[in-house]
Amino acid sequence: MRTVCIIPALNEENTISRIVSEALKHCDTVLVVDDNSQDHTSELSHQTGATVIRHILRLGTGGALSTGFRASLKAGFEAFVTMDGDGQHTPSEIPTVLEPILKNQADIVIGSRLLKRPRSMPLRKRIGNRILSIATSFASGTKITDSQSGFRAYRREVLEYAMHRARDYRWASEILLLAAKANFRIKEVPVTAIYLPKRQRGADVKDGLKILYSTIKRPKSVGFL
Amino acid sequence: MEPYEIVATTFGIVMLLLTARELIRRKKSVLQYSFWIALWIVLILVGTVPQFYFTLLFVTQELGMYTPIHFVTTFSVMVLFGVAYYLGKRIAELDDKLSAVVQHIALQTANTKPLDPKKERGTSSTRSL
Repeated sequence: MRTVCIIPALNEENTISRIVSEALKHCDTVLVVDDNSQDHTSELSHQTGATVIRHILRLGTGGALSTGFRASLKAGFEAFVTMDGDGQHTPSEIPTVLEPILKNQADIVIGSRLLKRPRSMPLRKRIGNRILSIATSFASGTKITDSQSGFRAYRREVLEYAMHRARDYRWASEILLLAAKANFRIKEVPVTAIYLPKRQRGADVKDGLKILYSTIKRPKSVGFL
Repeated sequence: MEPYEIVATTFGIVMLLLTARELIRRKKSVLQYSFWIALWIVLILVGTVPQFYFTLLFVTQELGMYTPIHFVTTFSVMVLFGVAYYLGKRIAELDDKLSAVVQHIALQTANTKPLDPKKERGTSSTRSL
């Protein structure tokens, strides 16, 4: 099964080289979608061995992932791994996330940060994540502990059917709801998450409320093909 | 002439000139700017011929309002809400189109021919998927 690791990146010059080189050990191709970084993210990714796609304007994480999925689907990959470029996820855990896909045990695998060491996540994020995960579990009918995790693996068929439309952080719940609606198998595996105090980005309260609203509203199905 | 009349007339004339300049520059039809042109003309009329404002009294009473100012404020707010809704909708549509264009350019720029990626590693040439 040909695998691609898609990394949406925005100003990640400090971490991207390490992430790409480690991810290349576990995937056939690493695709970095540079969401209009103002640093050397693209150049460093390319030098390290990644394929780089660059947005001429910033679209957001969801937009970058959507571009990555479209490019990878066109290129004929069969399994897709997504992970953050800021070093929050550990590339050595890619086989853990990918394994259920390769063994045909699941169609989507979520690397849950809350199954292993939940205390590593800052309290504010843990509370927000818990609320959104409950809402997503309720809407999808599948128990999900970390609906906002960006460390995931997908089977090709899922993305052919359930391509998200959201360009911001809402993509994470949207794609799960679309997949659950089509009865794709969703599985969670525990992963480690590293939170560096100086580099805490991600969804804020406003984003959380938007995600909650769109989860309750439930997205419409948008297939790629 | 009362101060408000001077302000209204000056503002109306300046805005009418700006609208006319925009119309000529962009070579648009008068119809596209008709709402704004009508608004500035009314504003100029209110400033130069204050009696015009009081002719609204008839319309006002027909609509069940006590004074022309009720009519002007109520309908202005209604129109502005309509304009805000339309502009919001238009911006959302343009935002979607912009994002589609950005993705299209990104995908066109990248070479998406499937290759054996293992062979590609370590080279500095343009890599493809």
